[in-house]
Amino acid sequence: MTKYSVQATTSSPYINFDPDSKSFEIKGESYPENCWAFYSPMFDWLKSYFSSINGSPVEIDMEIVYFNSSSSKTFMDFFEMLDDQAELGKNIVVNWRYHEENESAMECGEEFMEDVERIKFNLVEFTD
Amino acid sequence: MSLFKYYDEMQREGVILYFNGPVSQPVVESIAELMRTKMRAEEAKMGSVQRVFAVLVEQMQNIVRYSSERHMDSPKFQGEMAHGQVVVGREEDGRFFVACGNRILAEDSGGLAEQIDLLQSMNRDELKAYYKERRKAPDCATHKGAGLGFVEMARKAAQPLAYDIVPMGGGTSFFSMKVVTQ
Repeated sequence: MTKYSVQATTSSPYINFDPDSKSFEIKGESYPENCWAFYSPMFDWLKSYFSSINGSPVEIDMEIVYFNSSSSKTFMDFFEMLDDQAELGKNIVVNWRYHEENESAMECGEEFMEDVERIKFNLVEFTD
Repeated sequence: MSLFKYYDEMQREGVILYFNGPVSQPVVESIAELMRTKMRAEEAKMGSVQRVFAVLVEQMQNIVRYSSERHMDSPKFQGEMAHGQVVVGREEDGRFFVACGNRILAEDSGGLAEQIDLLQSMNRDELKAYYKERRKAPDCATHKGAGLGFVEMARKAAQPLAYDIVPMGGGTSFFSMKVVTQ
């Protein structure tokens, strides 16, 4: 399957899902004008990707500096989709990465972690 | 036209930024980034910078979505352009505040007031539980906002959200809200 890649803008993150190198990354800020319009192609891509793989693990790195309330809803939908895939037997890991000084990103990660059920959700702190 | 009376009043009110005009997504991005850069330069704590940034984005995106006063709606402009006001300043005790104002449809004012009154009655834990419940609720996929913005702001506020709705005639009302951040 061809990879899914989007360049970052001021208000939307860099997304790079590359099945060949097994690299799945979402990085940056997320407060686009229309969250649904921005993320729906990513959801579509993931749906077909998940239907094409069997047991191979998927590890997703998310490093979001800031996200607005609409993105928060979208990320919850995203984690629920991953939860559903995990229920179907997929091995899914999300690494929620945040800078040590970004307390708000850490708290948001904790709250997502409380709400996911089947995927492995890691909080990963990093320094400069 | 002398702007002195505005300048003088802003000084007294502790205003750092005052914006009145058309708001579009690029304006949201520029003003929010500008405030972030300025606050960082003044070495405000990272937490305060994040909270002011977050409240500013929610308020300005609400103007873009809900202001009934629209300047233009042309594909030439990225998204919609709506008229509104945004103010960022400091209280006497040093806490930051972010306020916004825009015209809304009078018929929407009841629902809006009800929503904010509900949030005003909640404590921190209730707000968190309500936020998570709303975030998990199935939502119309094409809806531009998730209705979470006010809950988000209430959670970042140091005190209950303050708001005011003034009927303006012509089927519209003026909505304003002030959030004092933690």
